[in-house]
Amino acid sequence: MKLELGFIKINDVQFSNECAVKDGILYVNPEDVKAFVYDHDDCKAYIKSINFDIAKPGESVRITPVKDVIEPRVKVEGPGGLFPGFVANVDTVGSGRTHVLKGAAVVTAGKIVGFQEGIIDMSGPGAQYTPFSKTLNIVMVCEPVEGTKQHDYERAVRYAGLRAASFIGGAGKAVEPDEVKTYETLGIKEGIEKYPNLPRVGYIHMLQTQGLLHDTYVYGVDAKKIVATLLNPTETMDGAILSGNCVSACDKNTTYHHLNNPVVAELFEEHGKSLNYVCNIITNENVYLADKQRSSDWAAKLAKLLDLDAVLVSEEGFGNPDADLIMNCVKNEKQGIKTVLITDEYAGQDGKSQGLADSDPLADAVVTGGNANMPIVLPPMDKVIGMLDYVDYCSGGHAGSLRPDGSIEAELQIITGATNEMGFNCMSAR
Amino acid sequence: MKLPHRIRIITNNPLVNTVLSDWYKVEFHEDASYRDILVMVRDMVYNGYELMTHPMAGSVKPNETMYKSIVVGTDLIGTNLEHCNLMMNALITCDKFKPLGVVYSDYHIKDFQLIDYTLLCGALDFDAIAGLSKANVNSY
Repeated sequence: MKLELGFIKINDVQFSNECAVKDGILYVNPEDVKAFVYDHDDCKAYIKSINFDIAKPGESVRITPVKDVIEPRVKVEGPGGLFPGFVANVDTVGSGRTHVLKGAAVVTAGKIVGFQEGIIDMSGPGAQYTPFSKTLNIVMVCEPVEGTKQHDYERAVRYAGLRAASFIGGAGKAVEPDEVKTYETLGIKEGIEKYPNLPRVGYIHMLQTQGLLHDTYVYGVDAKKIVATLLNPTETMDGAILSGNCVSACDKNTTYHHLNNPVVAELFEEHGKSLNYVCNIITNENVYLADKQRSSDWAAKLAKLLDLDAVLVSEEGFGNPDADLIMNCVKNEKQGIKTVLITDEYAGQDGKSQGLADSDPLADAVVTGGNANMPIVLPPMDKVIGMLDYVDYCSGGHAGSLRPDGSIEAELQIITGATNEMGFNCMSAR
Repeated sequence: MKLPHRIRIITNNPLVNTVLSDWYKVEFHEDASYRDILVMVRDMVYNGYELMTHPMAGSVKPNETMYKSIVVGTDLIGTNLEHCNLMMNALITCDKFKPLGVVYSDYHIKDFQLIDYTLLCGALDFDAIAGLSKANVNSY
């Protein structure tokens, strides 16, 4: 399967009376975006108002509580459309051509549950820990209709963000990209013939699937309900995998992370040079132990069927998923497939405690995304997009976290994307 | 829905007790802490009952939520060392998190109950949303 990604470099974002890209500037008409968002039953039923704002790198701005971050993209050629199963129909995506508004992001904010959502600082020390301080952010603060339940609100905000990013991405449809990159994986036989001496490498992509508000969707399907299966790496670039995860700001994979999965990007970079990138195996992180056994058995079975020599495994979340991570490692290592794990750690504020809730001697190649318990102080910002009242109750916060001057003393886990377990951050070495 | 006759739910979450006790055997320990539930289940697993859900379900940290629900089997099946290990590691992880000193409002407490309940429903393949119709949960 072959996909061309056309990158349109966005240098600035401005509100306007039209949605368009001209000379590297993305113009956004909030009323047009809103009309598209509200053309959906859940958004209509559960979102009372949407306030749009723009946050740019270097500004004294704090965005919180962040729900999801989504990169605006648009399908230009080939089957299907962006975010299959949610915005587009369920045609298989990942081939043809897709345009990316590189440098722009849609950020949804809203208090789904009061204790878990994250912070993006656009400047200061906090900005160093989140990749979304470097993007031009179109922020949507979504207020619920009175009487809305959390799960309905979460679903409506999820749809709102995806629909907004899809609509805004449309502005790049007829624009000539600044750069076009081609991504292609080969069929099994073709790959072996073309790269007979290169190790066959796959990517076991673990998806957060523990329950309501802890979910991930694949082509619109709740990934709790899947067995481990195969995905062409390019399918993720068209939005085949979407975040429905409202918890654990530092190590949740936003939709932006899925679209820009760095493991996929690096494996493509090495494809045909030092390795033969065969495919992605997606699997879940269910709470029921029999589900864990089945999913890790199947992920290992597929890796063996594909005659892989090595797999990379990335995790999402804390605690329970550590068990899936280790099961995926042990089962592959025991059948002779070399395994490298990517995770983060909760190693205590001094970094001296055991970082994971599970371990095994076979897990001898592990990359960490950082220690989520690391203490940080975030200075006050001139402007807050969203609300701060929940900060003391947030993961990483404590009584008195929000100081009277607006500064925040907390653990790193409060920052969106700070210890991302795909490695999409700056807390590890290269 | 997963095998209700073979399992029991050990919980300190009143929402779980309210909604799921019509369907499952729920052992509700109203005064137990998060850690107390882990210790109870650890002892059951050491004594040979099957552990059926992961004790660290959810990304809400042990020093935040006060609620924990874990599913174990009703029959003695003998000691499973892997499950003993999971329970031991869960307690080590729990003890690693320092108390936060936060006083939670009733609103937050209900949200913590909801998260624990929905994780459990996810594990049991029980329709969490339908179940909520008989409970008093937060809305905006």
